[in-house]
Order: sequence, then C-alpha cells, then structure tokens
Amino acid sequence: MTAAATMSRTASSGPALVPVDIGHAVYAAVTDPATAFWGLVDKTRVNEALTGGPLFEAYTKEYDRFAKELHALRFELKPSGVYLNPTERCNLNCTYCYLPGEQRSGGAHMPLPTLSASLAKLRDYFASVMGDTERKPRAIFHGAEPLMNRDAVFAAIDEFADDFAFGVQTNGTLLDDAAIEFLTSRSVSIGLSLDGPVAGITDATRRTWGGKSVHDKVLTAMEKLRGYGSWSVITTCNTENLPYLTRMVELFHAAEVPTCMLNTVRCTLPGARGVKPADGDMAKAFFAALDRTYELYQETGRKLMVANFANILLAILAPTARRLMCDISPCGGGRAFFALAADGGLYPCSEFIGLKRFNGGNLLTDGVEAALKSAAFRPVIERDVDTFDPCGSCAIRHFCGSPCPAEAAEMNGGMDKIGAFCDFYKEQVNYALRLIADGKANDYLWDGWDDGTETVFNIVN
Amino acid sequence: MTQTVQPQQTAQTQTAAPSEGKLAAPTIATRKSCNPDGIGLSHYVLMDKKAAK
Repeated sequence: MTAAATMSRTASSGPALVPVDIGHAVYAAVTDPATAFWGLVDKTRVNEALTGGPLFEAYTKEYDRFAKELHALRFELKPSGVYLNPTERCNLNCTYCYLPGEQRSGGAHMPLPTLSASLAKLRDYFASVMGDTERKPRAIFHGAEPLMNRDAVFAAIDEFADDFAFGVQTNGTLLDDAAIEFLTSRSVSIGLSLDGPVAGITDATRRTWGGKSVHDKVLTAMEKLRGYGSWSVITTCNTENLPYLTRMVELFHAAEVPTCMLNTVRCTLPGARGVKPADGDMAKAFFAALDRTYELYQETGRKLMVANFANILLAILAPTARRLMCDISPCGGGRAFFALAADGGLYPCSEFIGLKRFNGGNLLTDGVEAALKSAAFRPVIERDVDTFDPCGSCAIRHFCGSPCPAEAAEMNGGMDKIGAFCDFYKEQVNYALRLIADGKANDYLWDGWDDGTETVFNIVN
Repeated sequence: MTQTVQPQQTAQTQTAAPSEGKLAAPTIATRKSCNPDGIGLSHYVLMDKKAAK
C-alpha cells in the first residue's frame, strides 16, 4: 500500500480507541493506533472510554490534526543527516557486527580528496532540501572504525566546520589525548561502545582481531570525556552481558556518562543471531537496569539517560520529538538520514552496507536524489507497519515501528515481517505508560526535553 | 466507525464494572508537538537537541 493510500485509509477510518493492558494496578491505556493517540483511564472505566465520554470527545476534535501530524512524520520528511563510513576497516572483530568481516579486516579507506568531494556534494544536497533553516545538517562518522582513517576525518571536520554538525561513533580504542582534544575543542559529539562492567564480559563480544581485550582502553577514554557535554556510550545487549546490565548503568552513572543506549543486538547478519537474547530475558534485565537508573537519580540528583528507552517515551508523549528514527515505520533510513559507504555507495542506513542489493548508487556519480528514488531504497522507505500482520493490527505499532527493516529482511524473511524483538517492544511501551501513569516519565528524560514543543492535547481529570 | 484494530498486548484489559461510591482515577492524556528533526539510529544517538547546535 502506498503512503497516499495509507493516508486515505487513515482519514476515512475516523477515531477509534482500543484497550491495552499495561500491567498497572489502577490504569489501563486506550490507544488509537492510526494516530498514535493514547489515554490512561481507570481500569474500571475502560468500556465507557472506548465509545464516549470527555476523552473520546476531545480526541475526536483533534483526530484530523493528529492523523496529519503522524502522516507527515512518517512520509514527508527530507533527510537532514548522513552517516559517513570513512573506512571499511576496523581494529575490532565484534561478534555481532553488521559489516562483513572481509571488509573490516582488509578493506579500504576513503581517500581525503574523495571524502572532501563527498562532503561538498552532501553540503549542497542538504542546502537544497533544508532551505534557510539555522539548523545544520548532521554528519556522523561511523563504523567500521572511523578513527582508522583519522587524518582524513579530522581534515574533513575542519574543512567543513561551517557546514555540518559533526559526530563520531567510535569503539574508543584509538581515542588518544590528541584525538579527544581535537574533537572536544570542535564540539564534535562522541559516541563510544562498551559491553560489560568488567573486561571478562566486554571481551565476550568485543575484542581485537587477535583476541585482545579493549575494555580498559574504553574506560580510559570515558574517564577523559568526563565533563564533556556531548558524549554517550552504547551497550549492545546480548546473551553474554544480559545479567550485567544493572552493573553497566551503575558504571556509567559513576563515570558521569550523560547518555547511554542499552540496545538490543541487531540481528541482521548471522553472527549476531548467535548472541540474541530472548525477548522476556531482555525485558527483565532491561527494566531492572532502568529501575536502577531511577534509584541513582533519586540518590544523587543526576540522571543517566537511557536513550533508546527515552525515545519510546518521546514516541508516546511527543511523537514528533523523537531523536531516534529506528522505532518508527517507515524508519529513518532513506528518509531522515542515509549512509555513505567508504566506496562511495549510498545506502538507506549503515545497517544495510553489508547487503549490496540495498546500494542506491554512488554519491559522486549518481547523487543523493537518485539514491532516494532508487529501487534499492524503496523497500526500506516504503516499509509500512499498517500494511502487514501482525503489526497492522497492533495497538502500539506507531510507538514501536517494528525495527529493524534490515533484520526483518535478513532474519525473518522480508520487509513485511516483524523485527527481532517484537514482544520486548510491547513490554517497553507498557513500562513507559506505567511511568506516565505514576507521574515519573520526566525522570527518564533529559531536563528541558520539551523545550520548543507545544502542548496540543492535555486532559488530566 | 470502521476501525478493526485489536489490542496486541500481553493480556486483555480488565474492564470490571465501576464500584458504586468509588472515585475513578483521573484520566491522563497528553500530547506535545514540534518540528521533527531526529536523525538518530541505534548505532548513534544525540538526544539533546541543544547539544547538536
């Protein structure tokens, strides 16, 4: 079904609420999945809330507005960010990497002249679609390990300092004092990765090609970034570290990490599926870690943001304020952002770089617009949870988006299949709605998260 | 009304009849809106908009 057809169906369906048991002692949720509208009602009043009463009447008045807003978010965005892979190489051989091993071990760097020409072309593209906005497009240097091609990356950051807001996602092992000074002095956002609270756990999935531990190097980098305003650490949750997630957030909080992600392992390539935790185990460990971040906030007054969960809260409280664009359908790949591989190929997202059929052409010879319209990008851009089961009949499908299309295609057999962690996402939404019921949602979001937003619906009675 | 969506959550909501004389918990429903500009993905995140400028 096309986007236009979906909008037509949405507009003609009218408001309709369905009940959702969120596991709360007092509250149940009612949602309209078509617009991502929700309300929390006394469990003894669910039936009357479904068909009438103040909540339904107020929502009916706003239905068209919310339908248009969600449609615009899902189908009308223009890209404002690029994930740049300046090299195919990585000095680590992580179990679950989504990039092919032969590239990471023996691949090529993107030469500086090519990187410069690429950024110039990207600058012009973003200027054409973002207009005169004061906001800069984002350019994120990304994996494999971008600092394997450090000289080119740093030269490019200086050459295009006025044109992009830059970020670097690195494994942290090459982040020496000079690199930290360079990046922090230029306000480059820095992301690291660490999978365990101690070396023995990190080493289970993240080691060098020779099998050496890198745990202590990442801890050293974290210590040097303490106090910097814009950095984060990703933990990829897998069977090896799942029992240690609570200790992970304790470590991160003690290290004054502003933001972390406790991501489910992406199961795009077979190696990752070997360390995929079961949904129920993932939920239990993840919620225990979230509970611990709340306790630490209560004890110290300092928050540790778990960004992937915060984004679920945002999807509920303010759908357009999402920062992550994985948990929405279609996802952000090829819509909000795209990826540039080290060989100049364009992909909807870095997750697809190992899957050549998703190559939408070459940046320098074909251009971005051609890639966005290509047959390679289309299955990702058009993946719509309204159009396939079980998502099409799911009450929370637009809080979740059934990530990730690469997983759905490679692990589950097609773009019209669910992602790898369906039940875990349902439990996250339930957990988020329970926090809202208990008045705790803001404790899991950064201070000022709603600056620049407008309250468009508010019933508390 | 043509909506055919069914709940997919782990258990059906309890919809017991209201008890006489018992006050219902207040209904909660909010929504905020802004211009969308998120570009994060699971391999990278920058949550705070201000930090991106």
